[in-house]
Amino acid sequence: MTKTAVVIGSGLAGIQVAQQLTDLGVTVHLIEKEPIIGGLATHLGRVFPTGDCALCLDACDELFDGHHRRCQYRSLLTSKKNLKLYTQTEIKLITEADGKFSISIKSYPRYVLLDRCVVCLECINVCDVEIPDEYAIRGGTRKAIYRPISQGVPLAPLIDMDHCTQCGKCVEVCGVDAIDLEEKAKTRTIKADALILATGVEEKMPLKLPGYAYSESEDIITQRELARLIDPAGDTDGQVITSSGNAAAKVTMILCAGSRDLEATEYCSQACCTYSLKHANMLRDKEIDVTICYMDLRVQKTSYHYLDLARKKGVKLLRGKPDRVVLRDGKPTTIVEDTQTQQRMEIESDLVVLASPLSPLASQSEVLADFLGEYGFASRVVKDGRVYACGTATGPEDIPTSIAEANAIALRVYADLEGGR
Amino acid sequence: MEVGAMSKAQTYTYFPGCMIPFRLPHFELAARAVLKKLNIELEANPGHSCCPEPTTFTGVDFEAWITLAARNVAVSETTGLETVALCSGCFHTLAVANHMIQEDEKLKGRINERLKTVGLKVTGDLAVKNILHVLHEDVGLERIKKEITHPLTGLKIAPHYGCHVVRPLEATHMDDAEQPTWMDDLIEVTGAEVAEFEDKMSCCGAPIMPSDEDKAFTLTAQRIEKIRASGADAIVVVCPTCYTQMEMQQTKATAKFDPEYSIPVLYLGELLAISMGMKDMVISNARRYHRVKVGPLLERIGGVA
Amino acid sequence: MVVLRSTSDLAFRNWVLEQPEGETLLRCYQCGRCTSACPVAAIDNAFNPRLFLQKILLADESLAEEQLVWTCLTCEQCEVRCPEHVKIPHLLILAKVRGLAGGNTPQGALDRARAILASGRTIMVSESMLKTRDKMGLPDLGQPPIGQIASVLKEIGLAKKLEKVESVYGGGSNE
Repeated sequence: MTKTAVVIGSGLAGIQVAQQLTDLGVTVHLIEKEPIIGGLATHLGRVFPTGDCALCLDACDELFDGHHRRCQYRSLLTSKKNLKLYTQTEIKLITEADGKFSISIKSYPRYVLLDRCVVCLECINVCDVEIPDEYAIRGGTRKAIYRPISQGVPLAPLIDMDHCTQCGKCVEVCGVDAIDLEEKAKTRTIKADALILATGVEEKMPLKLPGYAYSESEDIITQRELARLIDPAGDTDGQVITSSGNAAAKVTMILCAGSRDLEATEYCSQACCTYSLKHANMLRDKEIDVTICYMDLRVQKTSYHYLDLARKKGVKLLRGKPDRVVLRDGKPTTIVEDTQTQQRMEIESDLVVLASPLSPLASQSEVLADFLGEYGFASRVVKDGRVYACGTATGPEDIPTSIAEANAIALRVYADLEGGR
Repeated sequence: MEVGAMSKAQTYTYFPGCMIPFRLPHFELAARAVLKKLNIELEANPGHSCCPEPTTFTGVDFEAWITLAARNVAVSETTGLETVALCSGCFHTLAVANHMIQEDEKLKGRINERLKTVGLKVTGDLAVKNILHVLHEDVGLERIKKEITHPLTGLKIAPHYGCHVVRPLEATHMDDAEQPTWMDDLIEVTGAEVAEFEDKMSCCGAPIMPSDEDKAFTLTAQRIEKIRASGADAIVVVCPTCYTQMEMQQTKATAKFDPEYSIPVLYLGELLAISMGMKDMVISNARRYHRVKVGPLLERIGGVA
Repeated sequence: MVVLRSTSDLAFRNWVLEQPEGETLLRCYQCGRCTSACPVAAIDNAFNPRLFLQKILLADESLAEEQLVWTCLTCEQCEVRCPEHVKIPHLLILAKVRGLAGGNTPQGALDRARAILASGRTIMVSESMLKTRDKMGLPDLGQPPIGQIASVLKEIGLAKKLEKVESVYGGGSNE
């Protein structure tokens, strides 16, 4: 009898484990709360260690064989017979009986029918509503009917009903009657033999972090926000600009902003040293002056070239944890001791970039609370009763580790389900 | 108002310390008067000594400091009442000693061995409070508001908490180590406006007077300058040491940026007393204990004297 | 950074670790936030809390002679910002205590300590002040029990220690 698994979260690890399991003959229900797959990867642009776009994933290729990669946009994730993707979907309840899980889910309406839409995008053209785009950093906007990113899967747009004026222009212009403004939420119950948490992490917004004044200036941003600035597909076309629209000439980066801190987040987020170096190198290529204030540089062996390149490109590495960022005439100034020269410095710059902690999304869901351990992360094998986790749901890690973990968990789930252990 | 609707008078053990009762008694006078209006009595105990003062004695002999502090806490415990220390230094000393005794069994044991020689024992079970605890937490803003007969409308007051009444938070049990609000709330209850200035919690500088006066006054000057920039009419303090530094020694600080500038400094109890209709009590002590004239400030407050 | 006088038995460091709350020293990973948070460091380049902690970590006895430790305000701004909750001003206080025997104590501090032992108060209380209190309607606070003070401190032997100490540096006014 075919076994069924529910994978919660369709970020990189979720996609990988789902694809592996379907190829092994397991039926997979892939649950995603956002309107598109990809998770944190949709925000990042180029990622380490290869410098490829984050959306380029082995598991997205029809020749899924561990060697060929393809953008999620062109993936066949939605066309496998034994893989069902549910976007804009929340888990409402999980119960267990006789070794099987009953998972109740609620899918919020897209208002655009996936089996009809041909992605002509005329509906977006005619929409009059303009609202701030969640992926934008410098005031970029989107419409009420929109695609979060142009590579988003499912490819069809969705409607943000909170801002839709119900004018009907999109319905009129749609040549295939794909828009249903009356669509209702759907609830379902899925029966599964195994549950896999691939819920991932988000970058914590340092709204109340003492000293770093994040809430006081649009020129004090996080590394994820910097990724949006650098991404040529972002709202600034890849221009690294300040809030006043001028090109930034000087950037100060602060690592461990709220990490390894008993007053904030206690654990190390593992990947931020490297992605900060990645960004620093990209800024140096744009001839922007970069200073990184660090406590330690924790770079994975597989990504050590980022640190070597940073030194070659003239990234200034200052060992010292800044106490605060103050605004002088609107420009951020970082107060820090250079612990190697014992000099107290006041470094003025156009932008300050904070490496903020990666915090587990699973802890935002009450339904998953029982599966979580310290800090809201889950163990790879949560309990022997067929609950597993992979990707950053188990702890902050880089992409290669997430993918390797997803592969390992897929095999483990398969083995457990087929009784091979 | 019905007879019997008034709450019973509450008594706290008063820890006097040295500076307030014998250098700045107007603090004690104002505090007692304000608390009396709120049905609170303060009862001193002759068994108390110098707390001992935390800014220098700790660095002479820490073990001696905490032993003497614990002795004072033990004396308070014999009264069975919660203790309130008006001086921030005394409060800090007793609160830290109380906390360390609660957390460190070995320390507590050592100390009790010494206290045994004088028939005392410390448990760490009784609360040590400061004037902000009593007013903001025990009495509450609603009850205080009822006693405000002369609202200080139009006055802009800069709250100076000082370091030792707030930190370390785990011992002082105040609200926040960087952005405390209790004094702000009490200022607002009097009808005055709270002045917002940079570096709310920066130190007055007094603790390093014995070792480097110039540095101390540089810090005092920086703080007063930031307060000046906020347009405040007066500074309010709770600590007698901050008062001495920022009020009585103010000219030495202002000499560093503007010798012509001056700003009155009031004890929180004085501010509350004025708003409760006891302006005369404050004025009668002003000449003796305030070097910066408070007369002009008081004249600005409307209402019946 | 120059380590001047570490001893291989780490005596100074071990002594600090044995004091109440001294063990917080080991949490320090020398990030330097304390130095950039410190208001004294902002006006004096030589005052560096992180460096002082480094000296204790490396058991450098020369810290006990460092006069600068007495310009610590004990404002705890460093401690509030320290990611490891290291009790920084407290550790500097322990360095001060270690320096007493060598006279690294301001005269004002010695005067106050002696006054506390002798009279139970930091200041002299004059007759006129007592009269003022009386006139203000404030209660008589009696005399502190100096016998008790002496008794509870006997084991520590502070009075004896203070007898022999002479301050190597004066310092400013004392109230």
